[in-house]
Amino acid sequence: MVIRMNEIILDIKDVNLWYGEKQALFDVSMPVESNRITALIGPSGCGKSTLLRSMNRMNDLVSGCRIEGKMEFRGNDIYDPSNDVNSIRKKIGMIFQRPNPFPMSIRDNITYGPKIHGITDKKELNEIVERTLQQAALWDEVGDRLDKSALALSGGQQQRLCIARALSTNPEIILMDEPTSALDPIATSKIEDLACELQKDYTVVIVTHNMQQASRISDKTGFMYLGKMIEFDDTEKIFNKPKEETTERYITGRFG
Amino acid sequence: MTNTRDGFATKKRFNTDVISRYALMAVASLTVLILFFIILFIVYNSTDAIADVGLWEFLTGTVWKPSADAYGAVPVIVGTILVTAGSVAIAVPIGVGAAIYISEVSSERARRILKPAVELFAGIPSVVYGFFGLVVMIPFLSGIFSEQMPTGFAWITGSLLLGIMALPTIISVSEDSLKAVPRSYREASLAMGATKWETTKKIVVPAAVSGISAAVILGIGRAIGETMAVMMVTGNAAIIPEPLWNIFSYIRTITASLALEMPEVVVGSTHYSALFVLALFLMIMVLAINLIAGYVVKRTKMKFEGNVSEGRFSDLLKKEKIRDIKTAAGLAIIFLIVLLAATLFVDLTMSAVIALAAVIMYKVLAAGLSKLSRKTIEKLAHLSLLAIILLVIGMLVVIIGDIVINALPSLNLEFITEYPKNMGTEGGIFPAIVGTLELVAGTALIALPIGIFSGAYLAEYAVSGKTTSLIRHAIDVLNGTPSIVFGLFGMTALVIFFGFGYSLIAGCISLALMIMPVIIRTTEEAVRSVPHELREASRAMGANKWQTTVKIVLPAAFGGIMTGSILGLGRAAGETAPIMFTAVVLMQSSLSDSIFDPVMALPYHLYYLATEGTADPSMQYATALVLLVIVLSMFILASVIRERSNKKNKW
Repeated sequence: MVIRMNEIILDIKDVNLWYGEKQALFDVSMPVESNRITALIGPSGCGKSTLLRSMNRMNDLVSGCRIEGKMEFRGNDIYDPSNDVNSIRKKIGMIFQRPNPFPMSIRDNITYGPKIHGITDKKELNEIVERTLQQAALWDEVGDRLDKSALALSGGQQQRLCIARALSTNPEIILMDEPTSALDPIATSKIEDLACELQKDYTVVIVTHNMQQASRISDKTGFMYLGKMIEFDDTEKIFNKPKEETTERYITGRFG
Repeated sequence: MTNTRDGFATKKRFNTDVISRYALMAVASLTVLILFFIILFIVYNSTDAIADVGLWEFLTGTVWKPSADAYGAVPVIVGTILVTAGSVAIAVPIGVGAAIYISEVSSERARRILKPAVELFAGIPSVVYGFFGLVVMIPFLSGIFSEQMPTGFAWITGSLLLGIMALPTIISVSEDSLKAVPRSYREASLAMGATKWETTKKIVVPAAVSGISAAVILGIGRAIGETMAVMMVTGNAAIIPEPLWNIFSYIRTITASLALEMPEVVVGSTHYSALFVLALFLMIMVLAINLIAGYVVKRTKMKFEGNVSEGRFSDLLKKEKIRDIKTAAGLAIIFLIVLLAATLFVDLTMSAVIALAAVIMYKVLAAGLSKLSRKTIEKLAHLSLLAIILLVIGMLVVIIGDIVINALPSLNLEFITEYPKNMGTEGGIFPAIVGTLELVAGTALIALPIGIFSGAYLAEYAVSGKTTSLIRHAIDVLNGTPSIVFGLFGMTALVIFFGFGYSLIAGCISLALMIMPVIIRTTEEAVRSVPHELREASRAMGANKWQTTVKIVLPAAFGGIMTGSILGLGRAAGETAPIMFTAVVLMQSSLSDSIFDPVMALPYHLYYLATEGTADPSMQYATALVLLVIVLSMFILASVIRERSNKKNKW
């Protein structure tokens, strides 16, 4: 087994977050290593999706949401007010619970991001379409019908299209918010394989309610409960010998 | 990419996002500005007459005769109220009955035919209704009541026609509120052994009563602002009916006064200014109705949010106690109505006898009904509702059928492609068709960008606050403003003040102002129904709000926006009042070649042919049919687009 040394690409330090009066995150810290899959697990409402959505400032879109603490992307604080939020999201893409392709053609779905960020060259756009669809393992299935509506694809294909779409802006981190919760087991295993492929070139942070999924694919796992990061460690350690009792009770299903 | 620092671009203070937000807000605020100018021009123009005549004289004078400097507005105000009241008395029972049938009785398949049919009703231009009243209803009614109204022009004719026109509004809004009554209410009642009719009568209709009242008030609002149809059939004598309940009397409404007198007055005279006073009165009446409607709708909403369910049953209990008083009062009202109606035909003693007979008959009938089994009563009730819906559909078939059949003899290629000759009695209607299409195109160019961006602003950007609420109120008021007021505004502001003259552009602007509220509202609704996930997906890729709105949200809402826009433009195509003193001329021997030239238009041409009465009837019919085809095909196109986008967008 080769042990790779990975840099910390996103360093989350003492983050507190409020929705209006209600505090949703309490002093959360977590280092995200590059070219790894980091999983966030925990019961519903524990704040794992909130934490994920604050990593590319999607929580800015929620009115009344306030955040304190630091999230440093290669040493540059994401929440530094001088940073343009849209260029942050270009570098840190996101995949959602339910596949959400735009009601356009497959091609237009993928070229949307690059066009937004200023790429107009036809040839370059076509290359992006092919490259990202290849990366998302979708090219063989849809390569011959790029101009058909994305809504005609199956749920699993739609989610892989969304992954290809997220790759189109050339991000460094891909955030996945329970990406398989709306999919059947076969489609789920394809997405999992894909996530493992992607970590060669990208960093993946995945929120999942499925503990098998976390243990199958992730290198690092964070267990969250009631807005706190209870434990963060190598996945193997979390699932085999957790330090905290709450973690053990959760992963063994003796919770609540 | 320049400006990067560790991969991120530096935030700019003025980016497209910020600029576009303010630009959109400015566009949306235009509605407030427009409303302000409409009110300003009306008030400003009315000051002369108020100074010369005095507000008191306007409000109490019983003679409206501008040629003799008599400016008593009572006859036209009373006329407006009476015609509207009559139309409500006709439209409410029929409209609500039809709504109950569609919502509670009809099968799903029948419903899918009935609803669009009712909407088709709403698409018929008012001048076509007026034409139908003139050529079908008036001969028919004057035949029946030849003693009481030999000419057929009367209050009752106007009320009947306005009642028919108010039906679609009442039916479709009532039906929506009936459908919104939770299924569980119905199930609970049926599970206790109530019949379907008992459930409808005692549970569903009471639960929907606020929504139905709102529907009725909206219907009143439509009727009160109606111009063309009512002035084509009421005789237009500015008199107070004698006696007041004489439904066979000539009558004149405020809107008719404006439409009839405005083309003849000297601009700047007291008479000219007095017409603006009338417009002001009309606006105030409509505004009052809108306020009431707004209040009622708000109450409905509160009710559905669950604040009143307690009171519901205690209300019903209280009603039980005063039932006896109500029965007595009901009998007295029946007696009075029949008595008053009978005096129009026979002397007082005879009338009293008839009224008494009516009351006795009612009692006997009620007693007989109470002996029937509940199942039979349900059957009877459903049969009556079926009769009502058949009446409504029958009217639609008669109106459209009559026009189609009678139009055929004159409808040929020459009629469509030739210029009118001999004051429209010969030749074709080519320039009127072109003029109408030009008006619609011009209106679209003005109304669509403003309307769509305003709607997008309200749905995507507006935060609740004073500005937003001001914009919303302005849209509501504009939406309720009678079409003739837009015509008046167009004339005084565009034709005279800005010096456009009678011109295509003045007509287009007036029509655009009229339909803008519809486009704004439907756009807002369509944009709101775009799923939130699409916005998130776009923002997560680093698109800003403006890019997301323009490239994702608006295209996704395209179907809904198109539907609303086409419906609005269909209305514009059929409207007469806003263009009659801003854009149209009677005859043209060549097409106009500048937007500052006047045009001919189908609705006005039909009005002219029908009221002059010199042209061959089949030519009038053919003109009506061409107008109907243009307008209704837009309505049908709109509903096809809506169906298709509903099917496509199953996210």
